[in-house]
Amino acid sequence: MTIQKEFELFIGPNHPGATGNMSYHIWVEGDKVKKAETRVGYLHRGFEKLMEKRIWMQNVPLVCRICVPEPDVNEAAYSMAVEDLMGWEIPERAKYIRTIILEMARIGAHLLTVGGIAASLGIYTAAQWGVGDRDYLLDVFEEITGARVYHIYIWPGGVRWDLPKNAKELITKVLDYLESRLPLYDDLIMNNKVFVRRAADVGVVPKDKAVEWGVTGPNLRAAGYEYDIRKLEPYAAYDKIDFEVPYYPKLGEYEVLSEGSDIYTRTAIRMLEIQQSIKIIRQALKDMPEGDVILKHPQWFAWKVPAGYAYTHVESSKGEFGYFVVSDGGKKPVRVHVRGPSYTHGINVLETIAPGLNIADFAPTAISLDVCPPDIER
Amino acid sequence: MMAKELFPEAQEIRKGRIRIETQKDKVGEIIKKLKDNGYEHFVMLSCVDWIKEGKFELVYQMWSYQYKEHVMISIKINRDGESMLSMRHLFPQIETYEREIHEMFGVNFIGNPNLKEFILEGWPHMPPMRKDFDTEKFVKDFYYKIPEVKEE
Repeated sequence: MTIQKEFELFIGPNHPGATGNMSYHIWVEGDKVKKAETRVGYLHRGFEKLMEKRIWMQNVPLVCRICVPEPDVNEAAYSMAVEDLMGWEIPERAKYIRTIILEMARIGAHLLTVGGIAASLGIYTAAQWGVGDRDYLLDVFEEITGARVYHIYIWPGGVRWDLPKNAKELITKVLDYLESRLPLYDDLIMNNKVFVRRAADVGVVPKDKAVEWGVTGPNLRAAGYEYDIRKLEPYAAYDKIDFEVPYYPKLGEYEVLSEGSDIYTRTAIRMLEIQQSIKIIRQALKDMPEGDVILKHPQWFAWKVPAGYAYTHVESSKGEFGYFVVSDGGKKPVRVHVRGPSYTHGINVLETIAPGLNIADFAPTAISLDVCPPDIER
Repeated sequence: MMAKELFPEAQEIRKGRIRIETQKDKVGEIIKKLKDNGYEHFVMLSCVDWIKEGKFELVYQMWSYQYKEHVMISIKINRDGESMLSMRHLFPQIETYEREIHEMFGVNFIGNPNLKEFILEGWPHMPPMRKDFDTEKFVKDFYYKIPEVKEE
């Protein structure tokens, strides 16, 4: 009898370790991963092609559909690109409202990811909690925007309409609730011996290669770089808000248990960012001025965007989310190219760090990089 | 050194946004020089189809954390089958961008061995992101030929 040494395995497209409709094709020898390939294409809808066929305003309800966990970053980056080309400066109040919306979306996305990472290591309760607690945020989104997931609220020129009168109470109530929940998440995940042993120094992205490989966002900060677009090139009202950027080895109340750039640190950074987001929203609610929330611009169907090139980027929960927009002065864009952070995290980075991983560590590694397939397929 | 000091031809199109128009044989040199001078993050590689001119525009985009500046290096190549040299040796993620542009626009990148299928599967038609690929016509020709199911 011959012994087959190498096996091929498919993780996804329906697997708790694959975040969404994508799959990983891995080759294993014993329980060691020898090679990994990311396979996408399960949900391609041709957003970028569609955008070339639609007028500028029609694209707003389209772009948010690129990311389910955090749709608002798309609306913000696309709107900022149009504003850039138009030369618009949006009202001060709209900047604060955008900040609040974007941070609420970040908390929601981080809750899903942290829950996902924990679930891939067997702590299923955390995933249920994450989905459950995010739902309270969705309730607030529904009150503000009329929709739970795709809000279509951030528009070129500002935001669609003002916050409802009771928004401050609604948001504060959810923030208070989330703040009371965070210590429970710490007990369940961060202080859990099983989690620490499985996550520390596993799935390491080499620190010296992180920038060169195009790693961004929490994954880059876990590797020890204090880079955050909210600080580097502030958009919305971030330049007026006092907040910290957690990065390795400044892990706040969490112990530094590893060399960084691993699953443990990536999770800790996300937990700390939730705290910072809560702080940002509270401050934005306090400092928000009165006034208009959207520019009085010409009728949407008549917009002609001046010819030119624009690149705008925002700090999403996954990393740098950028929009490259080209206009020829017409009613429709010539080209819109979306830079999703998962494009590099999910393909080059994961395929490079996967060899040598234990098969059981593959799913947590993949999910801790927070790969979202529509970033890749658009 | 900042991009404008390195390359006098660089234009500042907006604060923190630099555009360099160049020829295809100079791209490698420019990316290398920028990489060595603090522009260490390769953001993305985009392709724009200028069908009236008969050109594809390739835009290599880089960012400097140090100078907080975004540089777009732009070249134009002929739409009808002109190829480009691969830049994957400079940043590993360029390989994937080239793979996508090869599939979606049909640009060939010499020196990239990994130009296999990416998002599409078994696609025999024209690369779909080209402007002359008409999505509506394709849908009509392709899917409307499937006969309707009629009640007996």
